[in-house]
Amino acid sequence: MKRTVLLTLFALSAPVAHADVAEAVAAHILPGFAGFARAASTLDEAAQADCRPANVRPAFEAAFDAWMTVADLRVGPSETGALSVAFWPDERAATPRALARLIEAGDPVGRDPSAYAEVSIAARGVFALETLIHDPAFASYGPQDYTCALVQTVAADLHRQAVSLDQGWRDFAPILTSAGAEGNATYLTPDEAVRALYTQLLARLELTAEMRLGRPMGTFERPRPKQAEAWRSGRSLHNVLLSVGAAQALAQALADGDLPLTDRAADRVRQAASAIADPAFQDVEDPQARLRVEVLQQAVRAMRSAIEVEIGDALGIAAGFNAQDGD
Amino acid sequence: MTTRRAFIASILVTGAVPRSGWAAAGNPAFLAAAQEPDGGFALFGLTAGGTPAFRVPLAARGHAGAGHPLLAQAVAFARRPGTFALVIDCTTGRVIRTLAPPEDRQFNGHGVFARDGGLLFTVEQSRGTSDGVIGIWDVEGGYSRIGEMPSHGIGPHDLRLMPDGQTLIVANGGIATDPTDRTKLNLDTMQPNLAYIATDGTLIERIELAPDLRQNSIRHLAVRADGLVGFAMQWEGAEGTAPPLLGLHQRGGGPVLASAPMGEELAMQGYAGSIAFSGDGAEVAITSPRGGRIHRFGADGAFLGAVSRSDVCGLARHPRGFLASDGLGGLLLIEGGEAHIAARSDVAWDNHVVCLDSSNGPIG
Repeated sequence: MKRTVLLTLFALSAPVAHADVAEAVAAHILPGFAGFARAASTLDEAAQADCRPANVRPAFEAAFDAWMTVADLRVGPSETGALSVAFWPDERAATPRALARLIEAGDPVGRDPSAYAEVSIAARGVFALETLIHDPAFASYGPQDYTCALVQTVAADLHRQAVSLDQGWRDFAPILTSAGAEGNATYLTPDEAVRALYTQLLARLELTAEMRLGRPMGTFERPRPKQAEAWRSGRSLHNVLLSVGAAQALAQALADGDLPLTDRAADRVRQAASAIADPAFQDVEDPQARLRVEVLQQAVRAMRSAIEVEIGDALGIAAGFNAQDGD
Repeated sequence: MTTRRAFIASILVTGAVPRSGWAAAGNPAFLAAAQEPDGGFALFGLTAGGTPAFRVPLAARGHAGAGHPLLAQAVAFARRPGTFALVIDCTTGRVIRTLAPPEDRQFNGHGVFARDGGLLFTVEQSRGTSDGVIGIWDVEGGYSRIGEMPSHGIGPHDLRLMPDGQTLIVANGGIATDPTDRTKLNLDTMQPNLAYIATDGTLIERIELAPDLRQNSIRHLAVRADGLVGFAMQWEGAEGTAPPLLGLHQRGGGPVLASAPMGEELAMQGYAGSIAFSGDGAEVAITSPRGGRIHRFGADGAFLGAVSRSDVCGLARHPRGFLASDGLGGLLLIEGGEAHIAARSDVAWDNHVVCLDSSNGPIG
């Protein structure tokens, strides 16, 4: 009897939000990392079989697509693990410079996947691979060239990272889903885990609006097309849509009920995207083209506001007290 | 006018022997400001275990505090640009004095008492030029302002007393700000420094970093009992550059910069909010509320590891390691890299936790 009372009390005091974190982890995050690990494995195999760009590109595209479902998370193992998978933005062209240095020196580390984790993160991950197989300054290598071995090494290193993130997230998931349990010094209450994922949602859309779209837009007087994400492979717009789709999916998994405002806002993002001519945003120097990117940017910002209303306000979550206002 | 010695003697005569004042306030080990669930603000005294020893309501958001070495009195500083500081009797919760900076001065959030408690030093800047000033207040004379001296830099923020009790160290952040809204005015030309200043105002030593770190604002300080100084920085330069956020300095030597691996460094988002040495002095740590991370280093500057915690900012020396506070109401004990929950309450802890334990060096 006493036990029943205690259980009832616990059920009453445990916020509904707890179940939503479990759903977000089980239905969105863990499958995302598992999918990325599988796609990275296929990419690794493809590169080892034939390193040439034409052969590697399809598996590269599939792995990048898989990565985008979880790319913008910066929590748990992704806090530090995401940057070496996707080093961007790259303001100072650190990725091509780091790769050029390795190639010029014929650095043995470029042939050693187990040691490659030690190189600068600018020379690792999807953007290093993209540069090697898409940038004309790199992509003309043959099967006997150092660059071929480097492509295989970067692909193998990416595969290792994907496996390690997948494992890391399976280890970390119980910390998120046991938020508030005794001894959990990362999330002291169930609400804190909800807050952690909610913050990721907002940050993810902010990144898309202000960086993926804002960086190539630059200023009206000075657009910066080469600052677009993944422009070399022409995936810039595609990444925006994948990122927005992932945010929508995470929001749906996290929320307790329908999200009509968020869903409509996501539809408007897709509509605005369909008006864009160059999927790499390389036409932003044309004022008309730039305007269409700006319309898309506003649609992404509107989706962020919709999530703030439908999830943040509903759960009473405010932005970080110190993170927002330091000194 | 009573001499300082007579003042201390008078405290002893009235029975207020060292620390007994603080015993009456519940023997707090730490001071921390917070926002409460109703939106109001308060200054808390916390025991070593993290439970509240006292609570004093504040009219506005606090930043940091300073505890008197003998009397149960704390000074709570407003956030920049500070127009007031409150001297609080921590046994009754009453505000004894409200300190206002002189004309053309603003408080910059930090301050420290002299070793014997006779003087209070406050970090200030000229409202017009952002030139740094250290205000001097006479505790015995009812916290009257008796003078000021230059901080030897622009936009000073934190201030500590060196173990010799004769020397102040100031973090001159280098940033000139608009007196009304903290807008940064000189990021292209800023030049932060670390200044050792005798309590009579003489500049003893001044340290500047290499030109490529000119935009790394030196903002917060921790001092070990042997005089090793740790300084925490906030990067104002280009994003994604991952500069070191921690430096160490021993008088007469050059600064030692302490870096984390690049992925870790980027996760801090170029921002360290607080710094402390561990209880045994073997480690020094910095917090980043933006990155939700604590970075631990050895006293030689070698990176030891990270602890993840949302909105973490306050950090203080604790006998078992560090005490960290966050905006979600958590107080975590960081012991050898492991985080343990010390306490949790429904408040948002503000930027700093101030250590009141003077056994291992200077107060503050």
